[in-house]
Amino acid sequence: MAPLLCIEKLRVTFRTRYGEVTALDSISMHVNEGETLGVVGESGCGKSITALATMGLIPSPPGRIADGSIQLAGEELIGANSARLRKLRGGDIAMIFQEPMTSLNPVFTVGDQIAEAITLHQNVSADRAFTDAVALLDRVGIPSPDRRARDYPHQLSGGMRQRVMIAMAVSCRPKVLIADEPTTALDVTVQAQIFDLLNEIQRDFGAAIILITHDMGAISEMADRVAVMYAGRVIEEGSADSILDQPQHPYARGLIDCIPTLGRAERTLKEIPGVVPPLHLLGAGCAFAERCAFNDRARCTTEKPRLIDHGHHPAACHGVEESRL
Amino acid sequence: MSERALNKAESPALEAWRIFRRNVPALIGVVILTVIVLATLYGSFIYTGDAFEIVWAPHEPPGVTPDFPLGTDYLGRSVVAGMLTGGGPTLAVGAAAAAITMVIGVTLGALAGFHGGWVDNLLMRITEFFQVLPALLFAMVLVTLFSPSLLTIAIAIGVVSWPQTARLTRAEFLKVKELEYVTAARAIGARDARIIWKVILPNAAPPLIVSATLTIGVAILFEAGLSFLGLGDPNVMSWGLMIGANRDYILDAWWPVTFPGLAIFLTVFAVSLIGDGLNDAFNPKMRER
Repeated sequence: MAPLLCIEKLRVTFRTRYGEVTALDSISMHVNEGETLGVVGESGCGKSITALATMGLIPSPPGRIADGSIQLAGEELIGANSARLRKLRGGDIAMIFQEPMTSLNPVFTVGDQIAEAITLHQNVSADRAFTDAVALLDRVGIPSPDRRARDYPHQLSGGMRQRVMIAMAVSCRPKVLIADEPTTALDVTVQAQIFDLLNEIQRDFGAAIILITHDMGAISEMADRVAVMYAGRVIEEGSADSILDQPQHPYARGLIDCIPTLGRAERTLKEIPGVVPPLHLLGAGCAFAERCAFNDRARCTTEKPRLIDHGHHPAACHGVEESRL
Repeated sequence: MSERALNKAESPALEAWRIFRRNVPALIGVVILTVIVLATLYGSFIYTGDAFEIVWAPHEPPGVTPDFPLGTDYLGRSVVAGMLTGGGPTLAVGAAAAAITMVIGVTLGALAGFHGGWVDNLLMRITEFFQVLPALLFAMVLVTLFSPSLLTIAIAIGVVSWPQTARLTRAEFLKVKELEYVTAARAIGARDARIIWKVILPNAAPPLIVSATLTIGVAILFEAGLSFLGLGDPNVMSWGLMIGANRDYILDAWWPVTFPGLAIFLTVFAVSLIGDGLNDAFNPKMRER
């Protein structure tokens, strides 16, 4: 069966004062029905751009989808007309944003906002939409939903607002739910609740979830499959178990090493030295070479590694490639 | 629906009103403006008389004849009658001009700020073109071109004063459209028109409301200025017309000029107080007090 959402060789560029930079460099990933795909990487790796591209929300100009294809259940989204895309957005594909504090319109009640999402896609009366909104608030675990529906966003806590965002996102039973760092702005106990809720929602609604995060803990809890991104490329892809147990790429290994282990006496938390290089300074070689502890091959600075399966799952690293030969 | 009215949650507008009604200067403004509006609306029921009719000897000082408490002008027309009937047109032109200003300014500013790119460029160049024209002169040209009437005067004032509103609206739109809830609105499939009017405009509204209020004051001054120059509607009594007609005799009789001048001053003053009060009410930094 063909995957529900399939991104093929997607290339997104942005015009900047440094010239045209490539934010996504022919990335491919897919997600099946009812599955959760985790997309991990540091800030600036292109995770959110991937999400926005899928929603057809790349700010243009300066952004541009230069190449590639995004197919939802066989339907090509790139180049689709804007009316069709509007129908899909919030209908078949929905998105949960990172900042629940700023993602809700401050001048309308949360109930009205969810009801608006419903009336945009379903032919129902305003009263009916509001009733549905209250039911959704109840579904996402908001106590006394009929009262809360009449609250303004500033009257709710961060966790509550993220629940509202989830209610809005699932209001039209999307096939694909993109969650862009849904818990980054929330404290740890609330994070766990939100993940539980996403899992429940997935069970009930059968939606595929694309979970964008930099938190490997979230990946281990939520994801079936994982795509690791670095500097606009997918550098490792595979099942969550396989990647968590046997990360191939030094970057993926680094990310997993960064997870502190309970009970182990660690004085300092591990980290990956350096930062993601600015996109306009990317050279010919592997984008990770500068920060990599195993960059002793000449190829590392002259040739971009390709995403190839080296036994466990595909990874894009010359070192891994050579040690498998 | 009645159940929703019982809701204790405070809408941003309600909260602004709560702050506004504790603002003493703003309330004074409301009182002054209310008195003036009531006087111009219903004053003629108490003091009947045609403002254009010559009823007495010219330049009768105020307080001498009980029938003409504010005296008479150079033709012997009652100043009180002029004050009461002249207020309506002045206020109406002010309000209409402000409305025209807001409609043109907000529409163009919103489109420019929202769409950016060449739309923004085009609209802003047009705005600048209108902005560099000397406003009063341009208004005079428009009024003389289309024979003076209340409507043409209101339109002329609107046409010369919208650029500032357009720029303010554009600036607010540029700020608000970058916020995450605008992207979130797109993500639920809202169309551009809906995002402009239902998502961005309500959030950009506070400074626009303040500016609309102040525009009323400016428009009233404008109307007075045009009437003073003799470009008002000659068939309609207005405060500006009274000042303009009597200005030559100000050394002989101060009252036919001073009273309408005072009325204009008080109206604009009251409107400004209200505008400042609204500004404070919408300013988040005032919320905590």
